[in-house]
Amino acid sequence: MVGRSRRWAWIFLSLPLGTYTAVVAGPTLYSFYFSLTDWNILKGSHKFIGFANFTRLFHDSEFWQAFTNTAFWTVAGLIASLVFGFALAFGLSRTTWGSRLIKSMFFMPLALSLVVVGFIWFWLYRLDFGLIDMTLRHLGFPHLVQDWLANPRTALPSVIIAWTWQQISLSMIIFLAGLTAVPAELFEAAQVDGARLPAQIRHVIIPSIGPAISVVISLALINALKSFDIVYVMTQGGPYGKTETLSVMTYREAFKKYDFGYSSATAVVLFVMTILIIGGYTYISKRGSDERS
Amino acid sequence: MSVLDTKNGRMPFRRSDTSAVSKGSSRVSWLMLALALLFLIPALGVFLTSFRTDTDISKHGIWALSGNLTVDNYMAMWNSSSVRIYMRNSFLVTIPATLISVTFGSLSGYVLAKLRPRGSGFLSIFLISGLFIPPQILLIPLFQLFNKVHLYDTLWPMIIVHSGYGISLCTLVMKNFFAHVPDELVEAALVDGASEPRILRQVVLPLSRPALGALATLQFTFIWNDFLYPLIFARSETAQTVMVGILNLGGQYSTAYGSQAALSIVASLPTVVVFIIFQKQFIAGLTTGAVKG
Repeated sequence: MVGRSRRWAWIFLSLPLGTYTAVVAGPTLYSFYFSLTDWNILKGSHKFIGFANFTRLFHDSEFWQAFTNTAFWTVAGLIASLVFGFALAFGLSRTTWGSRLIKSMFFMPLALSLVVVGFIWFWLYRLDFGLIDMTLRHLGFPHLVQDWLANPRTALPSVIIAWTWQQISLSMIIFLAGLTAVPAELFEAAQVDGARLPAQIRHVIIPSIGPAISVVISLALINALKSFDIVYVMTQGGPYGKTETLSVMTYREAFKKYDFGYSSATAVVLFVMTILIIGGYTYISKRGSDERS
Repeated sequence: MSVLDTKNGRMPFRRSDTSAVSKGSSRVSWLMLALALLFLIPALGVFLTSFRTDTDISKHGIWALSGNLTVDNYMAMWNSSSVRIYMRNSFLVTIPATLISVTFGSLSGYVLAKLRPRGSGFLSIFLISGLFIPPQILLIPLFQLFNKVHLYDTLWPMIIVHSGYGISLCTLVMKNFFAHVPDELVEAALVDGASEPRILRQVVLPLSRPALGALATLQFTFIWNDFLYPLIFARSETAQTVMVGILNLGGQYSTAYGSQAALSIVASLPTVVVFIIFQKQFIAGLTTGAVKG
């Protein structure tokens, strides 16, 4: 590269790099430091205490509940994204008419904010007046009628289903893109061979949409780990912390309890968890594709 | 982030009539249309709510067919000064933050794809790793920072943080896109004596319009729909965006379901409109041949 271009490279990079460092990379490092301090605005304390916050965290039942909820959310969200996203995309790819309209309908939730999604589903879950309870009563299951978001047993699955509604749109888009890019000859060959549909899906379709599958997996994992807005809107983490995720706990410790040090420790755990899961997944999928080739 | 096929830097969609998946049938279309309608039923509740009075809602619920429809909630929106402030704030945050993040991402993406100074590999990982950083880990340090520089409770924190946090996605997408712009084009312009900024502006960026458009749409949607940053960095109404505003309505009056629903719909309009435009642009971008990988 000529010297003149090198100078321009750094001039071009200066603003993005500076902003990113100040807003993302710098604060992340600061949070790592804060997680090692006892810093409580209400108590007025601010001192270095090593790993004490983490010790406290690992003995905190609220933390373990948030951790378990986040893990459950991640696994359930991942499976739902893969199964329903693929099924809908596959169905859409086999339509003969109206595909643009139907596609737009399925895409619609993606344009909405999670605040609005939470509000939308609130009207399905409400006790008695919600669509679910009304339908149950009409169909003759009055004993199943309940306040879905207030019942400790149903609250978390209910919130996850609302979140999944939008997540399925996202994974469907990606699967559809993957499916429409698969060369037609592959399918024609499979049909000539007389392969049945399940066999076609397993042996022809799934192997040829590998990149789409990894994008769907990564996004479902990241979005599940980040889940905050929809919980805040629908349940605020209740009842009894049953819907609290690590993101919500981080927020609550910092901006409700003003325990900045402890909140930073929670954020660090969330960060490390994200990196381990995404890094682990990337590593496994890379090794898998290396072995195949 | 994901609507773009990040693996090979080109847009993943093709027209569905060139779909490669084995032949479809009309019955599948009917089935998918029925599923799409079912899929959208949850959203119907918000529409119904927005046309009912609060007393009517508390008496019959929203799904009952009895009760009168009214546009009062929308009239109240129209006349509310708070709603005007929320909507204006959302635009004042979203438009600059979208433009800045896409511009910065184009600059860094161009450098990392085409100029490749020493350390490009590390810089790419550094800038793109922000995709995996949960926003919660940034909150306390940024909260402190914006307090210190007296920007807390203004729109600036949201503009700045979205501009910075968006750099990861924008760099990734633009870098992948620029990687497919032939080197010969850039070299030819260099031989002609064009400077790097001129090459970027007059040769590379005009080719990138489809990618820029799709990326800007995504960023617009993400930033408009964000809830976390206004929740943390703004307290008074004058600095809040519409997504937090929806919840504030709930706080002002004990049951404001009707007006909350109306505001949910009004607040979703910009992204829904942008989304519809985006879908067409997406398909057009693919057929121009400018983005063929």
